[in-house]
Amino acid sequence: MTERNTETDETENELEELQEKLQEIKDQEGIIGYILRGTKSASIDLKDPTKIIDYAVLSSTAFDASTNMTEALQMGEPKKIVIESEETKLLSMNVNNHRLSIFMEKTVNHNKLYKNLK
Amino acid sequence: MNRDPYAIALNNAITEIHKAYPDIKNSFIFTKNGTTLTGDQETDQQTINSIQESFENLKEKAKTIGNLESFTITTKDGELTLSNIKDMHLLLATSKNADKNHIHSITQVIIPTILKTMETLAPIQPQITPPKQLIVDTLTGFFAGDSVQIDTEIVKDWTKNNDDPRARVKAALTGEQSTPENIDQVKIETFGGNSTLCKVKEINDQNMKGKNMIRIPEKLCRTLEINKGDLVKVEPAS
Repeated sequence: MTERNTETDETENELEELQEKLQEIKDQEGIIGYILRGTKSASIDLKDPTKIIDYAVLSSTAFDASTNMTEALQMGEPKKIVIESEETKLLSMNVNNHRLSIFMEKTVNHNKLYKNLK
Repeated sequence: MNRDPYAIALNNAITEIHKAYPDIKNSFIFTKNGTTLTGDQETDQQTINSIQESFENLKEKAKTIGNLESFTITTKDGELTLSNIKDMHLLLATSKNADKNHIHSITQVIIPTILKTMETLAPIQPQITPPKQLIVDTLTGFFAGDSVQIDTEIVKDWTKNNDDPRARVKAALTGEQSTPENIDQVKIETFGGNSTLCKVKEINDQNMKGKNMIRIPEKLCRTLEINKGDLVKVEPAS
């Protein structure tokens, strides 16, 4: 029982730490927002709230498509997913059993963000 | 897989890239409408279809952030990159040790250059001017001469084919004229199987213009065993 409590505490601490990092990242130049989704809860912070649904769908599709593709080519589980469009970029990754997607302008260094978060 | 010369050349390019960069495990190219142009030997069509399906779905959803340019997935075993090159998509799956600069060169320099070159050279295939089916009208009288007369628009249409830059590339490479610059001779073929070459002029009777007609001297009609109102196939003679 004590062990399980310790584990839960650790997970909660990690999640708090992640959310603190995301708050910092959110204020950086070029960051459009993020979606963090766990099994029971989700937190979304986007500059343009009208895009919440579209971005949430894209985030979910990015994870699903990546899993399908890497499974098809037997490459193992996706660690980092990057989608680039003409002006916008999406970085998706799994952190502490949560699916995280950060939307940003193309000029932002997504590798730096990834290293900070993993 | 597509087997046209364009696809074969791309396939050769992919094969050579595989030899030069053994860290590339899988690679294939498909068009925006989902046709697989070429791919490596190791990746079966079922795998390609499955990846294409996932990618098409993602591409649709990604419209919310603008047109998708590239999609990269990193795993513990390597990296999968899907790049948008002109109106095609290139997939490269590489091992974890692959040199990122090499991959960048392939996706951003080598393949686009090959595609650009192919676009210039692929149309070297001969341009076929389709024969026109025209209705026969007979030319009679002393000034009938021995030339046939056809509509200006038809001649222009044939000449337009001559102006095709692709035809000029062919001419430059082969040193031959793919079709004459000015069409002064046509081949007439009847549905009875008779054919002849003869000089051609633009139709001079205003009332005959735009009616898909060919005016043939009476004497020539007799030779070809055709009458007024018959259909004949006409094409520029090389």
